[in-house]
Amino acid sequence: MKKFIAATLVLALVFALAACDTPATGGDAGDAGSKLTVWCWDPAFNLFAMEEAAKVYKQINPGFELDIVEIGWDDLQTNLITIAMSGQLQALPDIFLVQNNAFQKNVMNYPELFADLTDFSVPYHQFGPSVVAYSTIGGRNFGVPFDNGAAVAAYRLDILEEAGYTLEDFTDITWDTYIEQAKDILAKTGKPLLSGGAGDMDLICILLQSMGASFFDADGNPDIVGNEYISLAFDVYVQLVSNGLMVEVNSWDEYIGTFNNGIVAGVINGCWILGSVQQADDQFGLWGITNLPKFSNVSGATHYSANGGSSWAVASSSSNVDLAVDFLTQTFGGSIEFYENILFAAGALANWLPAGESDVYNEPQPFFRDVPIYALITEFAGLIPSNYTGVYYYEARDAIGNAIVLVLAGADKDEALKDAEDTLRFWMMQ
Amino acid sequence: MNLYKRRNLTGWAFLLPAALMICWMSFWPMAQSFMLSFQTGTGARMRYAEPLNLNYGRIFNDRVFIQALQNNFYYLLIQVPIMLILALILATMLNNKNLKFRGLFRTAIFLPCATSLVSYSMIFRTLFAFNGFINTALVRVGILDAPYNFLTNAPSARIVIIIALIWRWTGYNMVFYLAGLQNIDGNVYEAAKIDGAGPVRLFTRITVPLLRPIILLTVIMSTNGTLQLFDESFNLTSGGPANGTITMSHYLYNVSFVHSANFGYASAISFVIMSMVAVLALIQMKVGDKR
Repeated sequence: MKKFIAATLVLALVFALAACDTPATGGDAGDAGSKLTVWCWDPAFNLFAMEEAAKVYKQINPGFELDIVEIGWDDLQTNLITIAMSGQLQALPDIFLVQNNAFQKNVMNYPELFADLTDFSVPYHQFGPSVVAYSTIGGRNFGVPFDNGAAVAAYRLDILEEAGYTLEDFTDITWDTYIEQAKDILAKTGKPLLSGGAGDMDLICILLQSMGASFFDADGNPDIVGNEYISLAFDVYVQLVSNGLMVEVNSWDEYIGTFNNGIVAGVINGCWILGSVQQADDQFGLWGITNLPKFSNVSGATHYSANGGSSWAVASSSSNVDLAVDFLTQTFGGSIEFYENILFAAGALANWLPAGESDVYNEPQPFFRDVPIYALITEFAGLIPSNYTGVYYYEARDAIGNAIVLVLAGADKDEALKDAEDTLRFWMMQ
Repeated sequence: MNLYKRRNLTGWAFLLPAALMICWMSFWPMAQSFMLSFQTGTGARMRYAEPLNLNYGRIFNDRVFIQALQNNFYYLLIQVPIMLILALILATMLNNKNLKFRGLFRTAIFLPCATSLVSYSMIFRTLFAFNGFINTALVRVGILDAPYNFLTNAPSARIVIIIALIWRWTGYNMVFYLAGLQNIDGNVYEAAKIDGAGPVRLFTRITVPLLRPIILLTVIMSTNGTLQLFDESFNLTSGGPANGTITMSHYLYNVSFVHSANFGYASAISFVIMSMVAVLALIQMKVGDKR
């Protein structure tokens, strides 16, 4: 028995020590050589792109070393908050990835974490204006845009054809036409055109951004009650759901399943969704992509929008800010070779517009009936209207998401929006 | 130093490391977060609120918090009694020495407790999905004409969470009752049987009264656990639809990490939850403990 207790204690001690020994993930603030630390998520996508970028940059700066740490966005956000709260800025890496929708909020709440990149030679004019706007606060630039969130509308061409339509009939159309045709397709083939998470705000946000609209006015005050754009987006959403044109699901895997299993005949989302669309081998050559339907009779309405995407930030505490910015500029903001490398291996699309002229981007994609979709999406990316996200973007999404659920359940739209604005104002109180 | 003192000191020496660790890693942060609950602001720029009780004052004007509070009490009032009664009945049945495969049944009923909270929540979400197993089964058997979207309707989503909770925690409470039943002298039952008591009487007149301390313990633990419910709300329903299933702890998480971080307000919420747990435990102890 004694031996057993002793063994247990020793084991416990070993585990405790092992736990202490977990390598610190922070940046090497003291090491002013040519080594950088990066935090980002998604090994197949962001980490891979960073590795490729390091390879390209090594040709320019042979002594360059990059230490990439995988960390999910939720954890990364939590880390940023705790680092800012405790003032332990040296725990930050040199470069970290930030969701575009959370960029303004983090810079406004924790300006001390971010290096101001405005006066460096990042070629911002070569990126789409809307992606630069995400990381621009008060006219200053704090990020280098990376992951492309340009929205696309993808359709199952075989199902459209079965109902007598072509992709042309869904290109440059209005939402009214879309709903008409979707009803017809549902009647003829039994397939709805869309799917989405219940109470999930992705589609509403895509609709709003396509009009350049936001939940806030230019000063950051809530602008929900009497906001014509939100009201229009709600109307479209309600029509889609109540007519059975959009299937509502409860989780991400269900959502992916709706188009991979052929339950729905179309997808509207950020272009990164095409990675999931292409998982269905049996749907090879059946998909086509085009721009979004737009709102008719609305000033500023376009066929283009975005969902998600992310940008690189440089930590103010980095002892290598110059190197970090130069690295990002030479790769993410200046290397066609780099964007060609990551396009095929990871399907990672450029926000950097010159990459769209590359031959690789113009190659036909057999999954999409030999259309060069990458050049097409890069073209879309340059046309997206910017919108204001601000500090309380996630609160607004939360409040509006609840309002749409209530409206679908039969509540009065104006009342639900009034409640949403009250809730949002409550959350914004300090 | 006499023997008594030396022993005493040895005891304290053994206690000291753990006590210091608890004070440093647990009590000190609690004190700090109590101070934080009077502050407001973001990031490192926290300042004391004007008036000092601003955060506490706004809690009960917060519609989402009130909704979360109602959800929590809904779970508490419906799930805890069902679960505990079920656990008690199962424990009594499994305590029967003549039952075959007792060990197997005990293990099977306790096993859900060994699953991680996140994974079982996700499995329940998949089971009750629109085209999930439950819907498919109900439609095939003919009970439903078309699949029912359990998780997008608040009442049914709450019931799914309650079913999940019962599945996960009944076995856990049963083990406490089984342990308690071992301590009841078999002679008591024998004497009662000789006096002509049936199984129901044995249960209500002997088992339940003699298990009272254990029942009290499980009630307090379950109340505490239900008020701090997080994983099920977060993973099974994401708090939806329209905050219809969100719990206080889940809202607390949103306030801290999803929304623009407001740690002052979040700390205030956590202290309100703590006082509720304390008050409920106190009431239960007064009512339940008749020693």
